[in-house]
Amino acid sequence: MPELPDLNPVIHGKLRLALLSLLAGVEEADFTWLRAKTGSTDGNLGAQLQKLEGAGYLKVKKRFVQRKPQTLYRMTDAGRGALAEYVRALKALLGTAISVD
Amino acid sequence: MAHDIENRELRERLDLMESMIAEGRKMTGNWGWAFILWGVAYYLAFAWSFLGSNAAIAWPITMAAAGVTTGILSSRMSRARPRTGVVRAISSIWLVMGVLLFVLMMSLAFSGRLDNHISLSVVGTMLAVANGASSLILKWKMQFACALAWLAAAEIACFGSDAQQLIAFLTATFFCQIAFGIYAMISESRHRLHGEVHA
Repeated sequence: MPELPDLNPVIHGKLRLALLSLLAGVEEADFTWLRAKTGSTDGNLGAQLQKLEGAGYLKVKKRFVQRKPQTLYRMTDAGRGALAEYVRALKALLGTAISVD
Repeated sequence: MAHDIENRELRERLDLMESMIAEGRKMTGNWGWAFILWGVAYYLAFAWSFLGSNAAIAWPITMAAAGVTTGILSSRMSRARPRTGVVRAISSIWLVMGVLLFVLMMSLAFSGRLDNHISLSVVGTMLAVANGASSLILKWKMQFACALAWLAAAEIACFGSDAQQLIAFLTATFFCQIAFGIYAMISESRHRLHGEVHA
């Protein structure tokens, strides 16, 4: 059986995996929604999002809505590819059939 | 033992992914209020055009006010909501329907060719199209029933008398806007209560 390090370490972290999975189902989402869905703190969430952005898996857009700042996150093609690859690796490790599109 | 723990951890990752993807795709919007708002606007416009003064401006003013209110409330609501393909598709249907209906009714009114039967049949048909398309996207039988009710009201406007078409329109407004809006708000709040997932 292959070892765990075969899985992409950037994605394997629970919160980062949750974030990428959430963003896989939407076109874009803002920081507040991601925080509510993951139940994480501002600091932790910001740090993990920065790591994903640094890896090129997320694109960040900042704007003002009704004079309040809003940060929007969108998954990049590289992020989708990496998540799909991660799922393939998981499937290989577990030998189960799952579908994520 | 270590192998079991490792497997369990990997399965946890899979469960987490599946629940998060489902959560992201969930329709989290709360649009029941918009149905109620427009239902009340139709009743106000009817009451104004029948009982009030300046009847000619009753519909344009009421519909424009409802449109502006919807725009303001929905822009506030969408701040904390993610954009999904489903939300965009349904919003587009209703936005295009609303704009086209407004332009068409204004053109008919200013050209002096606005006839009660024609206007109610057009409004009923357009609402049937928007409700029907939304219900097919959401697989929502209750909304599909609303589409059929609007179509029936449109047909009554074509073939019925003045009194019959008025009763049909007011009935459809009550069931498809106000009652459906209340039902939608209740079911949406139930979804929100049971739908929170934390990583």
